[in-house]
Amino acid sequence: MIYLKNLSKHFGNTKAVDRLNLHILPGEIFGFIGPNGAGKTTTILMMAGLLEPTEGSVTVDGIDMASQPEEAKKRIGLIPDRPFLYEKLTGMEFLMFTADLYGINLENFSEKAEKFLSIFSLLDRAHELIESYSHGMKQRLIMSAALLHDPRLIIVDEPMVGLDPKGIKIVINLFRELSSNGTTIFMSTHTLKLAEDVCDRIGVINKGSLIATGTISDLKEAAQIKKGDLEKVFFQLTEEKNDS
Amino acid sequence: MKQVIMLLKPRLWSFKNRGIANEGNIRFFLFAGIGIIFWVGIFAVSHRVLVYFQKVENFGDILAFKLLSMILLVFFSLLIFSSILTSLSKLYLSKDLALVHVLPVPSEKIYFARWIESTLDSSWMVMVYTIPVFFSYGIVYKTGIFFYIDIALTLFPLCIISSALSALVVLLAVVLLPASRIRSIFVFLGLAVLIILYISFRLLKPERLVNPEAFSSVLFYFKDLSTPSSPLLPSTWAFDSLKAALTGNNSNAMFHLALSWSGAFFIIFVDIWVAKVLYFKGFSKTQAALVRLFKTQSKGFNIFFSFLDGPVRAFIIKEIKTFWRDQTQWSQIFLIGALIVIYLYNFSVLPFEKSPIKTIYLQNLFSFLNMALAAFVLTAITARFAFPSVSIEGNAFWIVRSSPISIRAFLWIKFFIYLFPLLILSEILIIATNMLLNVTPFMMYLSVITLFFMTPGVVAMGIGMGGAYPDFASENPSQSVSSFGGLIFMILSAAYIGIVTILEAGPVYTVFMSGIKGYKLTYLQWIWVIGSFLIAFLLSILAVILPMKFGEKKLVVFQR
Repeated sequence: MIYLKNLSKHFGNTKAVDRLNLHILPGEIFGFIGPNGAGKTTTILMMAGLLEPTEGSVTVDGIDMASQPEEAKKRIGLIPDRPFLYEKLTGMEFLMFTADLYGINLENFSEKAEKFLSIFSLLDRAHELIESYSHGMKQRLIMSAALLHDPRLIIVDEPMVGLDPKGIKIVINLFRELSSNGTTIFMSTHTLKLAEDVCDRIGVINKGSLIATGTISDLKEAAQIKKGDLEKVFFQLTEEKNDS
Repeated sequence: MKQVIMLLKPRLWSFKNRGIANEGNIRFFLFAGIGIIFWVGIFAVSHRVLVYFQKVENFGDILAFKLLSMILLVFFSLLIFSSILTSLSKLYLSKDLALVHVLPVPSEKIYFARWIESTLDSSWMVMVYTIPVFFSYGIVYKTGIFFYIDIALTLFPLCIISSALSALVVLLAVVLLPASRIRSIFVFLGLAVLIILYISFRLLKPERLVNPEAFSSVLFYFKDLSTPSSPLLPSTWAFDSLKAALTGNNSNAMFHLALSWSGAFFIIFVDIWVAKVLYFKGFSKTQAALVRLFKTQSKGFNIFFSFLDGPVRAFIIKEIKTFWRDQTQWSQIFLIGALIVIYLYNFSVLPFEKSPIKTIYLQNLFSFLNMALAAFVLTAITARFAFPSVSIEGNAFWIVRSSPISIRAFLWIKFFIYLFPLLILSEILIIATNMLLNVTPFMMYLSVITLFFMTPGVVAMGIGMGGAYPDFASENPSQSVSSFGGLIFMILSAAYIGIVTILEAGPVYTVFMSGIKGYKLTYLQWIWVIGSFLIAFLLSILAVILPMKFGEKKLVVFQR
């Protein structure tokens, strides 16, 4: 579904992402973890077509992001960590805006919009201005909008920031359901427990390089840890890299 | 005071760091150059006016002092108005306030630090650009050094008093109404007062003063000039001090100066006392969410624009709704409306019948110049609405960038959204003014066609430059017209209008005169006429394509 080949991004002399290679399969939930400043958000921005790589390529569903960005973006639903929206629109109007932007059939719109607003408990606030929403409500509205066009790939940066326990439960169940229907989910997170519980595979990035990829047991092997959770593996891998 | 200084430090450090970042920056020199030109211009005009007044027997000093009193009153009023808006933002609407209010500092100290910032922000520009006027008084009246010291010592308390009075009004108002509503109300009221004043001044027909028949009434006016202003106004204290210093009465100047300073200290004391009781209460109230004033139906717009392509419809509806729901935009509409009314009114009162030049010639000359003038009005409107339309996306620009819409398509959608209303507006303007001028059909067709081809060029420059120099972090993007990109847009648009006007001037004159005098054009003249219009046409096409391409190129690399 998504293929990152030698993906690099340099800001002056700083290598934010350095020759990252990754292949994620359809229906897979992939967790992307790493310390602050490791290059997670930069990678996400390049994957979503918001940032041009210095080197390398991003291929989504067989479509090259550099040569056919609009086609590639049609297949992606992006959920950023900070919910910046058009504050003077209502929640429903924002979904209508997204539907028009992604060319969604307006006949099915109301039914679909109401379904997602209902899933994210926003239906009763759908006709209020976004500026009156809380951080968590905005985050849930972005999730509704990102799912509206049935994307083949969902890219999420810190999915649980600002969500209440009910919201977190909704998102986890939804991701599992989408994944079982063939949607790929690429999730960057600091919540290691979430990554451990939900993800099929996990990639660890540190100082711009992908230092380990695989299932939890693969990562344990890489970190030479027999017992312990992902947190222990994470510290072992990232500290090893820092020491070297 | 230590805590107040601590609260001001981030601002000082930011200012210092901004200075480092901008070192050697071309923008800095461009703005500084324009600033100096304005400064010198203000000085030259005021010096010339004062020298002229000195030549008027018996009334010279009266006129000069009346002018000084009026300048100080305008200075004071401007400061009051700008301080209200700045203190509202600084005290209640700034994004960093939440961070400041969690600090273990009493709220009145936060208020005082913020008030100092607000005073500096609202006063520095008025202060800088009025100083050349006061300097010209010093030079014309050949005063000593005391007058110049007195200028600084007088203007400071006037700034402090106006800022403190405004902050006091804001402190009391915010307890009654939400801060963001008050800002809209004050912007609206302030503009209304300004426009009503201007329109009433214009309706008084000041041009009649040059008519000797009306001169007797001027003498009555002069009699009124010697009437002193109200002693309760802080601008009067400043005026009395400066007038005394100008005439060499230094002790009297010191007395009025002391009056100004004591007034300033008193109002600061009152402010802090009121802030102790009300500031946090008001700030707390500002945190509550706003209730919508009007509710519109979403589906109505969708049905109305259903013939359009999805992304185009999405942006049109979003743009219209955002515009009407953002009350700060309403003042723009009001301002533009007034500009158009004044513009049309000026054409309706042109006294052609009194001119010694043949009326038909003059009417058509005006009509030709009117094309350029209408294009300048269009530039002003484009600068206010189309230019900020990219910046207005703000932090939500990621939605556009992650959507399946290219930056090129995004900019062209924006272009067409603004092109149609602006084209209709500029055509209405030019047709209405030409009808008022009673021009020949040739000039009517020429103006309508020229504006039809110039409007896309001006709008494309606005969108292109707005895309090339976006300010997504701006809290009020409609003010981005005063930025570097806004300035470049204005210069480019003025140059484009100027070139097209020059290209058309010669051929239009030749064709027009041949029509009046009844002679035929030679082949060479025809080639010249067609060639000029062709170049103007090609220039108009380039004016659309080049800025749009430039905007696209710069906006694409914006996040690289």
